[in-house]
Amino acid sequence: MSLPPKLQEIVDDFAGMARDEKIETLIGYAESLPELPDRFQEERSNMEAVPECMTPVFLIAEKQADGGLVFHFDIPPQSPTVRGLAAILAAGLNGCKPEEIITVPADFYAPMNLEEAISSQRLNGFRGVLAHMKQVAVNTMK
Amino acid sequence: MPYAHPEYLVDTEWVAQHLDDPNVRIIESDEDPLLYPMGHIKNSVQVDWFTTLQHPLRRDFLTLEQFEEMASRLGITNDTTIVFYGDKSNWFACYALWLFEYYGHKDVRIMNGGRNKWEQEKRPLVKEIPSAARTTYRAKEANKSIRAFRDDVFKQLEAKKPLVDVRSPKEFSGELLHMPNYPQEGATRGGHIPTAVSIPWAQAVNEADATFKSPEELRAIYEGKNIKADEEVIAYCRIGERSSLTWFVLKYLLGYPAVKNYDGSWTEWGNLVDAPIEK
Repeated sequence: MSLPPKLQEIVDDFAGMARDEKIETLIGYAESLPELPDRFQEERSNMEAVPECMTPVFLIAEKQADGGLVFHFDIPPQSPTVRGLAAILAAGLNGCKPEEIITVPADFYAPMNLEEAISSQRLNGFRGVLAHMKQVAVNTMK
Repeated sequence: MPYAHPEYLVDTEWVAQHLDDPNVRIIESDEDPLLYPMGHIKNSVQVDWFTTLQHPLRRDFLTLEQFEEMASRLGITNDTTIVFYGDKSNWFACYALWLFEYYGHKDVRIMNGGRNKWEQEKRPLVKEIPSAARTTYRAKEANKSIRAFRDDVFKQLEAKKPLVDVRSPKEFSGELLHMPNYPQEGATRGGHIPTAVSIPWAQAVNEADATFKSPEELRAIYEGKNIKADEEVIAYCRIGERSSLTWFVLKYLLGYPAVKNYDGSWTEWGNLVDAPIEK
């Protein structure tokens, strides 16, 4: 099963990087994650609290005229790893249709070999953010 | 009333005055591994609780020989003053300190408030990674008096001695089995070890700047739940990181003589066949 082309491209890029380059690139993604647009502040303030030790991830999707989804995030700057992982998913999946998003395998990131840079524990963040995006995508299909 | 062992704490100003002190090694230990490469205290080095401090195969810490190799690589001598600091109220800074003490390092300290306070005070962060001249570090035999294994917990239970569960209230009650989407840190059963009292770790720190609460406040929190200095205490959480902060508070800020951290914690106990559980 193939990934959406932009996401596939990012996965392939990371697969070819050395460890330090992976860290630099991930930092670049974390720093490039845009601020949450003001128009979503109300939804943001209604967000459910998350258990401690987890990074609070707020995300919301907007449906474009062609049916594609654009995701917006709010993730604290103290958690650059989760910000970086979310920015990769946004870059790879923004514009995709809900049907495409829900078919992305939960372990799509395995070939990126990111565990050598940030340890396998932190990659749970990918699963978490992707699962959340899929849930939002499913809701837009109802 | 002062802290029992104030020498185990330094403030941010002390660190700022010792950035170039060759007898001091500043170590950053974070939950988030990208914070250090994005900017850290000048001349500090990074350890990662998982990739640096854990055994590569077993669920355990580095062996004594692996620990010596790691410390030598970081330019640490047996006489170095080590100051730990980190994100999230110094959880993983306390975890790293606990491991260095496990292998017998003499002079270990926590920078009170950690990365949070340093950043709040707008103190500088740099990206340069210091080059450390390699040393030959000699660790001591593991100090098991500060580490509880599951058998110690069973004995503690039989003797009706105190156990402190430092997880959040929903983890203690069993309502929350594990962190959603953290399958590797899950447990097949929810709840807590029978007789354990719930004193969430966060009660020991000031929310505003991540510094530790005053000795009077700390004493009231723990003695108020009947956790006193006259008995051996075992603290646990989910993987042993939050409870190493509680261990540090009980042992060095309040001066309890016998405190152990059960690093197997709920990810071991909640999966252990035949272990008693309360909900």
